[in-house]
Amino acid sequence: MLLNRKQSGKRWHLRPDGAPKVTGQLQYLTDMTLPDMIHGRVLRSEYPYARILSIDTSEAEALEGVYAVLTSKDVPGLNRFGIATPDQPVFCEDIVRYVGDAIVAVAADSPERAALALDAIRVEYEEFTPLNSTDAALAPGAPELHEHGPGNVLHRTEIKRGDAEQAFATCDHIVTETYYTPRQMHAYMETEGGLFVPDEEGRLNVFAATQHGYKDRMQLARIIGCPEEDIRVVSSPIGGSFGGKDELNVQPYGALLALRCGRPVKMHNSRKESVRAGLKRHPMKIEMQTGMSREGIIQAHRVRITADTGAYATLGAPVLNFCTEHCLGPYAIPNVDVEGVSVYTNNGLSGEFRGFGGNQAIFAMEGQMDRLAAIMNMDPWEFRRRNMREKNDPGPLNQRILVTDGLSQVWEALDRSELWQKHQSSPADPTLPPWIKRGVGAAIAMHGAGLGYGIPDPAGGRLSLNNEGKIEVAFSYEEFGQGLVATLEIMLCDLFQCSTSDLSIIIGDTDRVPHSGSSTASRSTTMAWMALQRLQIPFRSRVLDVASEMSGVPADELVTGPGGIWRKGQLPAETSEVETDVQGTGKSEKEVTLALEGVKQTSAIGNESDQTAESYLGLSQHLVKESVSSGFVVSYAELATQGEADEWIFDTKFDYPTTPDNVVGGHYLYTYAAVAAEVEVNTLTGETKLLDTRHVVAAGPVINPMGYIGQIEGGSVMALGFTLTEDAVMQDSRYVTTNLDTYMIPTIQDIHTNLEVEAIEDLPEGDAFGPRGIGEIGSVALAPAITAAIHQATGVWVNRLPVPREQLVRPLNVPLQEGVSPS
Amino acid sequence: MSKPLESHWTAVVNGEQKHLEIAQTTRLVDVLRTHLQLTGTKVSCEVGRCGACMVLMDGEPVNSCLIMAYQCEGSDIMTIEGLQGDEKGTLHPIQQAFVEEGGFQCGYCTPGMVISTKALLDAHPEPSQEQIETGLCGNLCRCTGYGGIIRAVRKAGERCATKETSAQETVS
Repeated sequence: MLLNRKQSGKRWHLRPDGAPKVTGQLQYLTDMTLPDMIHGRVLRSEYPYARILSIDTSEAEALEGVYAVLTSKDVPGLNRFGIATPDQPVFCEDIVRYVGDAIVAVAADSPERAALALDAIRVEYEEFTPLNSTDAALAPGAPELHEHGPGNVLHRTEIKRGDAEQAFATCDHIVTETYYTPRQMHAYMETEGGLFVPDEEGRLNVFAATQHGYKDRMQLARIIGCPEEDIRVVSSPIGGSFGGKDELNVQPYGALLALRCGRPVKMHNSRKESVRAGLKRHPMKIEMQTGMSREGIIQAHRVRITADTGAYATLGAPVLNFCTEHCLGPYAIPNVDVEGVSVYTNNGLSGEFRGFGGNQAIFAMEGQMDRLAAIMNMDPWEFRRRNMREKNDPGPLNQRILVTDGLSQVWEALDRSELWQKHQSSPADPTLPPWIKRGVGAAIAMHGAGLGYGIPDPAGGRLSLNNEGKIEVAFSYEEFGQGLVATLEIMLCDLFQCSTSDLSIIIGDTDRVPHSGSSTASRSTTMAWMALQRLQIPFRSRVLDVASEMSGVPADELVTGPGGIWRKGQLPAETSEVETDVQGTGKSEKEVTLALEGVKQTSAIGNESDQTAESYLGLSQHLVKESVSSGFVVSYAELATQGEADEWIFDTKFDYPTTPDNVVGGHYLYTYAAVAAEVEVNTLTGETKLLDTRHVVAAGPVINPMGYIGQIEGGSVMALGFTLTEDAVMQDSRYVTTNLDTYMIPTIQDIHTNLEVEAIEDLPEGDAFGPRGIGEIGSVALAPAITAAIHQATGVWVNRLPVPREQLVRPLNVPLQEGVSPS
Repeated sequence: MSKPLESHWTAVVNGEQKHLEIAQTTRLVDVLRTHLQLTGTKVSCEVGRCGACMVLMDGEPVNSCLIMAYQCEGSDIMTIEGLQGDEKGTLHPIQQAFVEEGGFQCGYCTPGMVISTKALLDAHPEPSQEQIETGLCGNLCRCTGYGGIIRAVRKAGERCATKETSAQETVS
């Protein structure tokens, strides 16, 4: 189905967080203030690699208005953090390994005074030559950045199947290419920060963005040396994350300063500090050698991946695992020899980022496919089809995966598309000047969801009827813009035929939600759906039984509906919370006029009624009992008065589905995507403009069309930046592009306004996993489609991102004038 | 530490006369967010590139991170909090269009984006694609890919064109 507002019809659901966002009323965690708060700042390393000889904080401590100056000596618990491998110091004790390393934190009565205090701190260093590349870090005799070696290797991966060496010897054609990908920056608009509030009961309240509140709580408790229950983490709403806020960032400093001072501490990174200290996408070098038979069937594939993981582990190892898994693409290749290495350097910090290593791998693999097809003089799409895995083939790691038709469906849908058909006929436009060249390219991908085999990936959730008579769900997921809350609303309204005003959705608060895992790896939608499938059965049963007892109507003649319980077949006509008409009619406009009243805000922190997630709910409009006819039996509010409160609470716990085979990191659920792109290259300037794209995505039923389109469009434009303009350039391990004026993310002028999204909603009958997450799939396959299009336009095979403009500039080739020097 | 020079600053903010004792070198974004608690205006790049802090100053869109208090002394400032529909407590047609078309995701760029759209539609009630691109190229969004924003701006343009007068009233 071509996904747009018109096609979506009644499923076009207005986000409950829309009005507070467009009016500026929504308070992000970095907007929060308290009257007696003070301000925290962090002193970071002057050098990318050095030994700390001494730290003198006496002058800073003596400053008026300075409340605390903390170093590593002031960390009561573990002076380390990191989701998977806690090797990043809260405060460096002796060695600094990147320019974002923290050495001292201060709290003062104003941001200006905190800055003065940082200036007053004297740190003496012994500067070392930084390991500014993976080559430098792997060179014999290179200093080891960490004790846990060997050398500067964080992690190695390997996939070996068949005999690649022998197979290459029999291949008719071999393509050898090395691909390079950039250090992409998340560039979320809200930089890291929040408010840290110790309360009278001795608990610490952390209001700071993360993708996994419980994981932050665990790490903070370890740093502070306190029970986890002594910390409450409130972590939504978030002004963007894309993986970049999954690790702790300002939280250790805010927490320690607040506890030391006994006062609320506000932290908010400047953009420059965010660039310096924050995560980036792993730059990778991917060497590929792919051999095929005379008939164009791939026989052998050799891959060497080198990832620059920077100063600390973060999720460098799982990212490399993911890249390794995905560098085989969705192809059946008998002889495989893949090795990956993730290398510590002094180049910033690489970690989790939307696509999780898939983007780099898919760029390289799809590049090989186009080169091989060109050698065969074959249509590149047909070449892919010949080599694609069969429906029942095992996954890339030879693991069992869930069988779907997704791959062939996206292949066929793109093949049929008007845009891809342009590839067949030369898209040259005679009206264009000769230096403007056009081309069309395409790429295909399968992308794993969830954390993979062998990595704890718990899920769960809570469904209850709360004492206000609302159907309440609680998950430890986060709203960072993806539209999770709207998706949950739609799922619940679908399940119970209720109204949005019957709902209470709680997320992002460790005091109020059960542990149901993280909002990462395109997993939240699937997990929430699976949890609700489990929870609805006991919940519905109790609700209908009690309604039956109260009314005397048999339970099997009752159903849930808007406002409460109804007799079967007598539910009021479908409600109009989903806008019914698109353009122009006075009716639709009236329906979506949203009252601002009732938008609860998160500002009242410390107040019992502070309920971050509930701020999303105030907008539920109209409806409920006005249309109640004789079919209405009993309201949810009346039901909630029956029995004990805890009898209305239902919990579930389970794990994200994984392959039954013992392959670490191997996925079980995959989503599939095919992307076509048309570009225009100016061969005088080397500028590439993306004109048109089509994304075909097979990820199961579309729950929330607005969110789905938004994620694919947003992912696509993020991938456009990855392909054409974005690179956090480093020189001697220091950032050169320190802000958004030199680090170029796409603007509204740079995008492809023709962006079509086609959603394939089929899943096998009886599929137990429901809709798949689409947070990442829109971002993984555009780059190779663009570079293929550039090749068609110019004949240049691009192997480096962002695409170097100089490669696309044609020599003028002007006939030389007799007797005039060519210089 | 010597106390920074303070002085009297006045301006009309969202239709209300404001008087503050502040250093004249305070940035407008801090005047708004810190002194007036108008946190709808966001901080992000602080170098005038991203547009998250966009406000209208005497009807013109400006990055409030680049404007000092002394530069807007006596000005008429409108922030996102000052924009609303014809009736108090309702959404302005631009805001409504953003909600309907999904012209936001995380929402952090949205106030600035809405303000720039207001300036755009005031100048070009029925903007061409080129005018939309020019009018909003100073506002970065990392979530939506701009698709929903463009659709929202077009829809808002259609509505504002028919409700031009009411939109003007909210400014004054």
